[in-house]
Amino acid sequence: MKYFITLFIVAVISSSLFSQAGVCGNFHKKYCVLGNDKGAKWQYNAQSKSGLFNQGMVSKLRCVIYKGMDYRISVCCETVLGDKVSYKIFDSRTNELLFDNSTSEDTQSFEFQSVSTRQLIIEVVVPQGATEKDKHKATDAACVGLLIEHKITDKQGFSAY
Amino acid sequence: MNKSTLLFFSAITAFTFSNCGGGEKSEEIETGDSVKTEEPKVNPVSETFFQVPSPGEMLTFIKMVGGKNNKNTTFLNSPANEKNYTDNKSKSINFGIYSCDLSYCSIFGIGSESLKYFKTVKTMGDQIGVSTAIKPEVLKRLESNIGVSDSLAVITDDVYFSSFEALEDSKQGPTLALVVAGGWLESIFIATNLAKFEEKSPVVERLADQKYTLENLVEFLKKHESDANVASVKADFEGLLAEFNKISEKDVTATASGKEGDKTAMLGGGKQLFITKEVYETIVGKIKTLRNSYTLTK
Repeated sequence: MKYFITLFIVAVISSSLFSQAGVCGNFHKKYCVLGNDKGAKWQYNAQSKSGLFNQGMVSKLRCVIYKGMDYRISVCCETVLGDKVSYKIFDSRTNELLFDNSTSEDTQSFEFQSVSTRQLIIEVVVPQGATEKDKHKATDAACVGLLIEHKITDKQGFSAY
Repeated sequence: MNKSTLLFFSAITAFTFSNCGGGEKSEEIETGDSVKTEEPKVNPVSETFFQVPSPGEMLTFIKMVGGKNNKNTTFLNSPANEKNYTDNKSKSINFGIYSCDLSYCSIFGIGSESLKYFKTVKTMGDQIGVSTAIKPEVLKRLESNIGVSDSLAVITDDVYFSSFEALEDSKQGPTLALVVAGGWLESIFIATNLAKFEEKSPVVERLADQKYTLENLVEFLKKHESDANVASVKADFEGLLAEFNKISEKDVTATASGKEGDKTAMLGGGKQLFITKEVYETIVGKIKTLRNSYTLTK
């Protein structure tokens, strides 16, 4: 009887740990670098998101950005994949490529304004083979965070207001 | 070490290793092989997430463009109505609506009302399963910052985001969809109560821009439309989107620009939206009808 009670307790603990193990929920809040320019008041944008990525997986996030605002997008992920994640920003309606971090030294953050309010598609890719650098990496999946911040554009800049 | 203790540690150890990648990968560690990439892998199916800005973003904008002295709360959903929401659908939608009302009172520095709305949000949050996200100590933080609108806004933003995350983490997708829908609708309802139609008014332009946000919201609702409550709200919002689709779009000719050395890039192109007074008033009417049908008010 004691044996079965112990087995039950172990099963419950294991189940609880497992349910926590697969959650990437707040990854972007914990690991993406916040904008901290002097005088800049970046605010957390609710369109930020984290997710579990496999190598070669492409995920797209469609968000809305308003004219008259500055935005800062940063990507972060678990260390082994850190310098390998790439992202592109497209106009959702025209599919025009607006930014590709692979042409900007794989920068992990991008600050921008837009002349018009628009829907953007942010495409995040973890390339296959990204874990080759670490022979001891036991998984090909990792949490990836996409942090979006915003602030009202300085009136001296491009703001329409 | 007795038998039970031994069994316990054995199971924990076994579990820990299994969580580190499974049998196949464990073998790779033992042999020191790198991850195999020669064999082509099938890429996981690409997924698109449809995101919606928070109600606070809209309300902050309205305050910034000229509503600093506004203290009007007559159009908000009265906390007294909370008792009328007895089913899951109305509880979830009105949780979103009250959360937005709380943000509004905080952003506009209407401190005493913030406390009332927080209590309502807390009560309803307990009912829809986000009690852990709205801790009682938040009330103390609100009370001690009652005269500081910036701090109140930060605190109530935290409440919204924590609730959002709690629903996401607990896989309550349909409830989350209804909360987001309620919050967005209330933010637009508040905006239309504060702004009259004027051409080139920043608030009216921002309302027209909600066409894009509403498109995202409808797509977000579609992901959970197997739930009957979400399906009915999605149908309502598609009706509203039909009105927003009457807003005309014109290409923006401005191109990407910026001085050399500028840290901030300028994205050119896109579309500019033009809303007529007639379309604006139709949309305002639809928003009012829809919102009041959810709050069960006139």
